[in-house]
Amino acid sequence: MIADGMAPSFDWSFNENDQEFSLTGSLRPQRADELSGCLSELERSVSGVSGKFYVNVRRLVRMNNVAFHTFACKILDLVRGRSDLNVHVTTSSVVGWATRKFAVLETMSDQITVSEYDSEFYPGQTFLEEGGFIPILRTQTKLTWHHERTMLARHGLEPEMQVADICCGIGDFAVLLQKEYQPSRLVALDHSRSSLDYARKVAHDFGVRGIDYVFGDASDMLLESDQFDFVTCRHSLQVFDRPELILKELFRICKPGGRVYITNEKNSHCLGEPRSETIQRTYTEVARLWSHFNMDIELGPKSRRYLIEGGFEDIKMESFMVTNLDGNPQDFADIIQSWEDVYAGQMAVERGDSAEEIKAFRQGFQDHIFAALHPKGYAGWPIWVASGRKPQ
Amino acid sequence: MTSLSEGASPNSDALPMLQMDLDIQDFCSDWSHCDLMSGYLARMVSHNRLDSLLFSNLYSSALNELLETVFRTHGVNGTLHCAVQRIDNRDRIELVFPVDDATYSIYHEAIETLGREDAETQYLEALFADREPDPNLGLLELGVDYGAKLAIERRENGTMRLVADLRLEDKTE
Ligand SMILES: C[S@@+](CC[C@H](N)C(=O)[O-])C[C@H]1O[C@@H](n2cnc3c(N)ncnc32)[C@H](O)[C@@H]1O
Repeated sequence: MIADGMAPSFDWSFNENDQEFSLTGSLRPQRADELSGCLSELERSVSGVSGKFYVNVRRLVRMNNVAFHTFACKILDLVRGRSDLNVHVTTSSVVGWATRKFAVLETMSDQITVSEYDSEFYPGQTFLEEGGFIPILRTQTKLTWHHERTMLARHGLEPEMQVADICCGIGDFAVLLQKEYQPSRLVALDHSRSSLDYARKVAHDFGVRGIDYVFGDASDMLLESDQFDFVTCRHSLQVFDRPELILKELFRICKPGGRVYITNEKNSHCLGEPRSETIQRTYTEVARLWSHFNMDIELGPKSRRYLIEGGFEDIKMESFMVTNLDGNPQDFADIIQSWEDVYAGQMAVERGDSAEEIKAFRQGFQDHIFAALHPKGYAGWPIWVASGRKPQ
Repeated sequence: MTSLSEGASPNSDALPMLQMDLDIQDFCSDWSHCDLMSGYLARMVSHNRLDSLLFSNLYSSALNELLETVFRTHGVNGTLHCAVQRIDNRDRIELVFPVDDATYSIYHEAIETLGREDAETQYLEALFADREPDPNLGLLELGVDYGAKLAIERRENGTMRLVADLRLEDKTE
């Protein structure tokens, strides 16, 4: 399953600006001298650098002992000869062997440090992971599924397809999709270990088989190119500071002629009656708050532009509104309460909002809940669905 | 050059195993065979794992080290027999190949080192040695870094059997 088509051969590059030397691909030479070209480039790169020199092995998928031995000794040589030099090796947790293997370098010299890159790159991750968000994610999916169940078919999903759900979260969408559409293969990928653990446990407890829950970085996946008929990515482009990078990866793993399906929000358009004004004010603030953390919770209506600029054709787009009338209004209210907890209780605090600002901010959520539970009230959460075809 | 068979394993609690036989000289005619074979088998055995992508990557790395070791250190004529199977949460790789006294002693030495208390130190020394890496470095890595249980057995017919039991999934989570 490793992308043979993607990382077949070995390559290296030096980025002078970042003082970073990157190794990519698969590196299993028979003899050390096969690496001489790369080693002399490494040496040359280091000679022009002072202070910190970065070695990036995040995309180095395979490396045998011959290669490791050669590189490790070279790096040790370099730091031993230059007391002004510090080498920092960046690995990826996705590759499995890399961090453990490179970590021994740290024990050989205190001029060398090693760390895993992907622990902290997505701005909102800690908020969501630590926020006790899991039950609420389930409720959200329950309410959105009510709409998407049939919508997916309109966007081209059919039984027996090869499907990937990227940024699958706790995996409940994948389970619903599996039951409804019986894909011949279903890969669900996320970058949160705790979410994946949860997903696997649920699948196991519910006797759901055949979903392949995979740990990975959506902006840099180890999945092969051109292999899925239908790729979904829900509520997630909006949590990245550079959504186009994720979209590029979704495009890559999609088969030519297959479709990529994304859903995103525009939170400032959440609405409710009564008390529409305070509700409106709070959700406008939500949008600002997210952008403070480099995330775009207003992305929904921009999906069309992203898909077109990402090279997709035959773009289909529609929107739907999750409301308090979709089922039990308390479900809707629970979602809003959890938003308040995370947005006002954590994110606004971290932004440095004053107590007074936070109080006003909280009010809109409470009013939204009021509208949802009001016998004559109406409360809504709008979502934009868009899909595009990868050209043949 | 190869024959591939799939079937029930003799071990009743194990999943079906996969087996490849190839002429040792054919195998050793090209270094890339190690990579191709480990990649291929890793793909075949990675289904229904906690994380198939991660598993396949680790499995391929471990198997490749074993195959590279055999590539460098083996007897002259005969067959390389490679079988893989899954037993509960262990994965067993079994290699049978021709040896003579000199080549067998290299495997024997590695197993002995791994049985010693300072196995890890020995491994790190070998890993950072100034000279060309020892031929048994791959075995030491498997034993120390991957926590594999390795066993060898010399056979009457001029072959030896190398068995590696791996627990890759415990380590990945
Ligand atoms: C807002 S949640 C959406 C989850 C799910 N799709 C849903 O609709 O409930 C965003 C998800 O993106 C995941 N994520 C963040 N950065 C990621 C990355 N670089 N690669 C893969 N997943 C990532 C998070 O772990 C989280 O589960």
